[in-house]
Amino acid sequence: MSTDRFSRQSFLGAYAEDLISQCTIGLIGLGGGGSHIVQQLAHIGFQRYIIYDDDVVEESNLNRLIGARTVDVPASTQKLHIAKMTIYGLQPNASVKGFACKWQENPEPLRECQIVFGCVDSYKGREELEIACRRYLMHYIDIGMDVHGKERPVIGGQVILSSPGELCMRCMGFLTDEKLATEAGLYGGAGSRPQVVWPNGVLASTAVGLAVDIVTGWTQRSLSHAYMVYDGNQATISESITLRKLKIGTCPHFLDTDVGDPILVDL
Amino acid sequence: MRIDIKLTGRLYNKIVRDLARPHPFAAERVGFVFGRVGLLADEGALILLTRYQAIPDDQYVDDLRVGARIGSKALTWAMQALYFGRATREGIFHIHMHRHKGETRMSRIDSGDIPKLMPGFQSVSNEAAHGIIILSLNHGSGWVWLPTRKEPIPADTMSVIGAPVGIFERRITK
Repeated sequence: MSTDRFSRQSFLGAYAEDLISQCTIGLIGLGGGGSHIVQQLAHIGFQRYIIYDDDVVEESNLNRLIGARTVDVPASTQKLHIAKMTIYGLQPNASVKGFACKWQENPEPLRECQIVFGCVDSYKGREELEIACRRYLMHYIDIGMDVHGKERPVIGGQVILSSPGELCMRCMGFLTDEKLATEAGLYGGAGSRPQVVWPNGVLASTAVGLAVDIVTGWTQRSLSHAYMVYDGNQATISESITLRKLKIGTCPHFLDTDVGDPILVDL
Repeated sequence: MRIDIKLTGRLYNKIVRDLARPHPFAAERVGFVFGRVGLLADEGALILLTRYQAIPDDQYVDDLRVGARIGSKALTWAMQALYFGRATREGIFHIHMHRHKGETRMSRIDSGDIPKLMPGFQSVSNEAAHGIIILSLNHGSGWVWLPTRKEPIPADTMSVIGAPVGIFERRITK
């Protein structure tokens, strides 16, 4: 049943509205990137959400947290609440299961999802999410941005699609032992990184575009994986050079049979 | 109790391709697909399908009363596979296809015959979930026998995690 509300996106296909409304989306992190994503998903018509964030709005978030207002700082409003307000404001009948904790503290609800967006800060966090998505069969879409250098700052970022049975973030050259080790060596001493609203918007829009394509198949390309690199100084987003040069076709890091709850086997 | 089934797009396509092949004498094909369990919230269960085993042509029995009947060799193979998968609690699901569109349900013959396999599967692998999956041309339904349960629970959804995603929701009541 199509409504006037969806008339401008009817090119997505005759069944797109139903497909979008049936899909359960997971969202980890409702800050700079996640708040953009949740807003777009609600506009598009997604109805089912499993969302996690254990943080509250602080003054330093107001430069980029979509939906946050000045009064949310003294009120210590949960980011989870901001996201729920955004969704319900656009989709009053949506099902939103929200958790003000780290997803690892309550992972079972996430497993219902067909697609999970990861808007986390660390490589370790990304690795853990990807492993969960492989084990419980969910598409994982990762976004992240960073600003490098002080004299001549360079804005960079990525959008990655990692799907069960297809190439993973290690295959695509994004996750490496070296990056994980370097990050672990910092022991949380990296401090807060620069974050601004417009790169998050570009990355979130690209990620949402991938999700809509996966759900509706409107482009008719069979999307198995993606690694898009953002250059914020040039204002471009393009396929990763690493991915273009990749020689492997199947993922050696995750086996098709490594799914479900881990089993402890007596030796 | 919520039960969901998931499989990758690659596995779904492999199953559909095999089940769609004509058989020399049987009217339809059947197969076995293996699955493991993951916990969902509120004690729900997620069945994650891992691999598919087609049944060779010569392991069907010519029986005009049914669309397809498999012989003892195929069932013995299934029991052996279950036995070897006990350590990982890998269960087995009988799968076939009804050639119509929309949600499907067990035919009279399906509901009379296939559930009889389950006690045997459970006796070999009593910590795994087993069941029946019936695909249609654009949908799919599942019935899951959880460990120690004698009656099946219909799956609420079956999700194909590919591109595009397929989400088959149960609308027919139990």
